[in-house]
Amino acid sequence: MTTSANQGRKQHYRPFGLLVEMTYRCPLHCPYCSNPVQAPAGGSELSTAEWQRVIQEASELGVLHVLFSGGEPLVRKDLPELVALAHACGMYTNLITSGVGLTRSRLQSLCDAGLDSIQISFQSDEAELADSLAGTRAHARKLAAAQLVREFKLPLTINVVLHRANIERLEQMIALAERLDAQRLELANTQYLGWAFLNKEALLPTRAQVELAQEIALTARERLRGKMEILYVLPDYFGQRPKPCMHGWGHRYLTINPLGEVMPCQTAAVIPELRFDSVREHSLAWIWHDSPAFQRFRGTEWMPEPCQSCSLREVDFGGCRCQAFLLTGDASRTDPVCQLAPDHQLLQDMVQEIHRQEPARIPALRLRVNPA
Amino acid sequence: MMEQSFFKRLEVGRPKLAAKARLQTDKVSGEPVLLYPEGVVLLNGPSAAITRLCDGTRSFATILAELAELYHTMPGELEADVSEYLFNLHQQALLEIAGEQESEL
Repeated sequence: MTTSANQGRKQHYRPFGLLVEMTYRCPLHCPYCSNPVQAPAGGSELSTAEWQRVIQEASELGVLHVLFSGGEPLVRKDLPELVALAHACGMYTNLITSGVGLTRSRLQSLCDAGLDSIQISFQSDEAELADSLAGTRAHARKLAAAQLVREFKLPLTINVVLHRANIERLEQMIALAERLDAQRLELANTQYLGWAFLNKEALLPTRAQVELAQEIALTARERLRGKMEILYVLPDYFGQRPKPCMHGWGHRYLTINPLGEVMPCQTAAVIPELRFDSVREHSLAWIWHDSPAFQRFRGTEWMPEPCQSCSLREVDFGGCRCQAFLLTGDASRTDPVCQLAPDHQLLQDMVQEIHRQEPARIPALRLRVNPA
Repeated sequence: MMEQSFFKRLEVGRPKLAAKARLQTDKVSGEPVLLYPEGVVLLNGPSAAITRLCDGTRSFATILAELAELYHTMPGELEADVSEYLFNLHQQALLEIAGEQESEL
């Protein structure tokens, strides 16, 4: 490859966003957590010094946004130090938190470090339901944390994962976000990956619920335009075309898990054929540009039919690799959400089967447990 | 409808980039870039010049006058494009109009 072609490739595949999973530890036990169901055995969390090196390397690679997440990132005492470094490197810093542990003094130190924005998750607008979904009494603390964030004049994003148990409270949840003076509201239908795949029978809403929710979300988006941004993530299993997952494999985003393994998305570890290289052994630039896992589904060459000859192949990138694996056992197949996919019927049958179940026979939610 | 009410407010207020948004230079390309929660927009020269002037101290007329000087043209020539750009920023909640209440009194 010539130097200029190599340069071009480097600009084309450039990470804009880095998700930093600082720890798998979390005080909440949400049954749709995107953390792996089987946390990798052994290994230790990256140290402060290791994260510092990685954040610097990310900045050199062109990353513009760092999202500090987990688990619960506030569990790590060194969070302000790392935020300060990312800020000094000129990156936009976002904290993705449950809100539990976000005390006034903690928030003050994060503000001093140059934190740009905070996202707090809510399980519902209503304490009892919210706490039962989180598996702990967290709702009141989230409300207090959200108020603190606005008191400190930081931009607030509220994220709600939607599923059968809370989707009918959508209007109340939008009202809650307005009351809390959120600048952005993410209404994300559950993506059936990680713990959510395990709990899909209990989480999957009915078609009627999904249709009503969409209408409510889109109406609110128009009403609040210019004031509060509303992102409505479409429910995957009900769509006709797959989502452009991560805007393409190894294209714009990367995730580093607590052990230092670098992945194209936060759930990719579910794909058994992939081995993810660690920042403990390689530079971030090498992993991003050259490691086998990042090249495996990059671009369009890996695509099977009907993706390969599809005019939308660079619109949706063939959908989600993790979803293809979970539903078909083969990560290189077309995402079954796509109507054109050979496995679309398989997904339809599965959804129908779940909807046919009598509510009483739907298994109870399995709450996430912290890794040992 | 929404557009008209925005233009009215623009005439009497002072456009200001929202607190959540930050304009800076991209280290890799050397080009201006606008950052905000979950968002990245690579800007061209004129967009960056407009955005830079939205600091809450300048009126829309002042912004147009400064841009006209920069691009050696008349403010009237730029008005449609600049107001459309600001409207789009406002639609994404990236632009506030400061001080409109005082002016309306």
